[in-house]
Amino acid sequence: MITAGIDIGSTTIKIVIIKDNAIIGSGKTYAGTTPAQTAKNLYNKTLTDSDITENKIDAIATTGYGRRLVNFGDIVLTEIRACAIGAAFVLPEILVRTIIDVGGQDTKVISISEDGEIEGFSMNDKCAAGTGRFLEMLASRLDMTYEEFVTAALESFDTLLQMNSTCAVFAESEAIGMLAKGEKKGNIAAAAHHAIASRIASMVRRTAVAAENCLFTGGGALNRALVKALEEQLGNKILIPQDPQLIVAIGAALWAARKIQGNTNEN
Amino acid sequence: MKEIKQFDPRFKIDMPTASDSHVIQKKAAMTIKRLDETLAAIETRPSNIKWFEEILHKTSYIEAKPIIGYFCNIVPPELIRAFDAIALRMDCGNPAFVQYGEEILSGEICPLARSSFAVLINNKELISKCKALILPAACDAKRKLGEILSDALPCFTINIPSEQNQGLYLNAIVNEFERLIGFLEKITGKNFSHSNLVSAIEESQKQTAIVRKIDSLRAEEPGSLSIRDWFMIIQSSFAAVNIQDWLKQTSYVLEEIKAYKPLRKRMRRRLILTGAPVIWPNFKLLNLIEECGADIVGDTLCSGAQSMWDPVVIDEKSTKSLLRALALKHIFSAVCPCFISQGKRLNRILELIEERKADGVVQHGLRLCQLFDIETYRITRVLREKGVPFINLRTDYSFEDTEQLRVRFEAFLETLETIK
Repeated sequence: MITAGIDIGSTTIKIVIIKDNAIIGSGKTYAGTTPAQTAKNLYNKTLTDSDITENKIDAIATTGYGRRLVNFGDIVLTEIRACAIGAAFVLPEILVRTIIDVGGQDTKVISISEDGEIEGFSMNDKCAAGTGRFLEMLASRLDMTYEEFVTAALESFDTLLQMNSTCAVFAESEAIGMLAKGEKKGNIAAAAHHAIASRIASMVRRTAVAAENCLFTGGGALNRALVKALEEQLGNKILIPQDPQLIVAIGAALWAARKIQGNTNEN
Repeated sequence: MKEIKQFDPRFKIDMPTASDSHVIQKKAAMTIKRLDETLAAIETRPSNIKWFEEILHKTSYIEAKPIIGYFCNIVPPELIRAFDAIALRMDCGNPAFVQYGEEILSGEICPLARSSFAVLINNKELISKCKALILPAACDAKRKLGEILSDALPCFTINIPSEQNQGLYLNAIVNEFERLIGFLEKITGKNFSHSNLVSAIEESQKQTAIVRKIDSLRAEEPGSLSIRDWFMIIQSSFAAVNIQDWLKQTSYVLEEIKAYKPLRKRMRRRLILTGAPVIWPNFKLLNLIEECGADIVGDTLCSGAQSMWDPVVIDEKSTKSLLRALALKHIFSAVCPCFISQGKRLNRILELIEERKADGVVQHGLRLCQLFDIETYRITRVLREKGVPFINLRTDYSFEDTEQLRVRFEAFLETLETIK
C-alpha cells in the first residue's frame, strides 16, 4: 500500500510518500502565494522523483494550516495528531512524552500519555511570538542571513543581554534600540533565542507531563541555537529527528494508511 | 422613600458620543448579516426562526412601555417586568462595538464590557428610551460600568455577596431588592404591585419549563435544533420582547422538535459548553463547533439554557418570600465565577456529562475575563482526574483567530476518537 502525506504549513509545504511503513519519497518547498497550486506541483514532482505513478497512490492525507485548501486529498487531519503519529514512527524505540513543534506561524507543545496517545496540547496565541517567523524577521532586521543569525547567536550564547519582548513587532524596535546603543549583533541574536526558548519552555511546563523524552520537530528544530537555548531552559537533552520538518507529513501519510486498513480505533 | 445615591455626584462628566457612529453601526450590521448568512445554511431550522431573528435585529424601539436595561443573569428581570416595563438585557456580543469601547475606556477590559458600553452610547434612540440601568456588583467590569454609565442615565448597582452563602446573605439580598424596588418606583413613577410581581414570576416559571423541555429534547436529538438557533431563541427573550409572545412562538418550536424524526442515528461528538457567555451575534465559537461536526448537548452559560434552567420556587406569596425566591434563583444558584468558590458550575458540568452522555467539555474562555480564566485551573484538573476530555478555547470577539481555534478544536475532536 502506498500513501502520501502533505503538510501545508504557512511557510513550507512538505510531502512524504510511504510504502508499507517505509518512506520511499519526500519533498519540500516554500509555500509561496498560491499554496494549493504549490502543493499540487510538489506532489507531482515528488511522485516523479520517487518513480511512482499517481494511480499507485492509495490515499492522500492533508494536514497543516492549509489542510483544506487543496482539493486532491482524501483525508484531512490536524498537524497535532499527525505530529504525534510521525514522532512515534521516527523514534519507535523511545516513548516520546513531549513534542515541541516550532513552525513558521505556530508553536505547539503536545503531551503524550504512557499509552502513546495525545494527552493534551497547547499552541501559541494569535501572535507570532515564539515562532520561526519571528526569528527570521529579526535576522533580516539585523541585516543577516538566517544562518549567520543562528551562528552569531551560538557564538555569543552566554551574553548577559536580555530581550524583553517576544512580540514580533516590539522585539524589532527593541533590537534596533540595542543596535543604536552599539550592542553586538551576536548578543542581540543570542538574546532573541533565549527569549523565545524561555517562552517555549514555559509552554512545555504548562502542558506536558514531563520534559523528559522530549522531541523537537518542525523547521525550528533545525536552528542549533534554539535547540541549545531550549535544552538549557528545560535542563534536559532534546531529541531531534533526522529531518524534523517532515515529521508531520510522515504522520499524515501513516494516518492515511491506517485509515485504509481500518486501524484507527474510530467507531 | 429614601433617595438612592450610589454614585458620588461631585465629579459627574458628560458622556462622550461617538463621532463616527454610522461607521460603527454599518460594521455592526455587517457582522449580523454575515451571521444570518452562516445560520441560513443550517439544515434543520424551526419554521418560525425569522421571528426570533427579527427581534434580535431590532435597533429601534417603538414600544409604549418604558425600557429598563440590565446586565447579567444575576439581575432578576422579573422585578423590572413587575413595573410593566420592558427588561432589556444589555450584554452585547457584537464585535463591531469593541473597538469603540476601547477608544473611550481601555483595551484591557473585557470585550463584553467594552462592546456593551459602546452599543449603548452609540444608539441615541436607545439611550433616550432607556429609563435606567441595573447592574450587579459581580465582576470588576460590571462594578465600574454602573458608575460610568450613571453619567448618562440613572443606574442601580445590586450589591451581591462574594460568598454564595444563603444562610448568611439571603436577607441582605432581599434588602437590596427592596432598595431596587424603591429605585424602580421612582424611575417608573409607579407603585410596586405585588400581583404584578406574581404574574412576572409566573411568566418566568413558564419560560423555565419550556426551556427545560426543549433543552432535554434537543439533547436527545441534537439534529432537531442547532445550538445556534437555540441560543438565538433563548437570547431573543433578553431583548425588547413581550414574554407572552415569546412563550407562544417558542411553544411552536417545541412542537417541531417533538415531531422531529432523524434520518439515521447521529454520530457526532456530544459536548457540554461552559465558560464565558456567548452572545448573539458573536457565534464564532458555536459556528466553529458545529462546522467541525460536533454537537453541544448542554451548557452552563449565563447566556444559554442555564440562564433559565433554575425555576423561581415560591413557597408562600408574601412579597418577602417572592424576593427570597428571586434571590435563590438569580444569585444563590448562579454559576458565575464572580463568587469566591464555584463548585456549582463544576457540579452542573459533571451532572450534564452524565445525564446527557457527553463525550467532553468545551470552555469558552473570554480573553480578559480573569474570573473564568482563573477558574480554569480547577476545572482542568478536576475534569482530568475524572477522565473527562476538556478544552479551553480562549478567544475574544475578533474573528482573526478563527483558523487557529479550528486547529485546536479539530485536534480536540481527534483526541476523543483515540480515547474511545
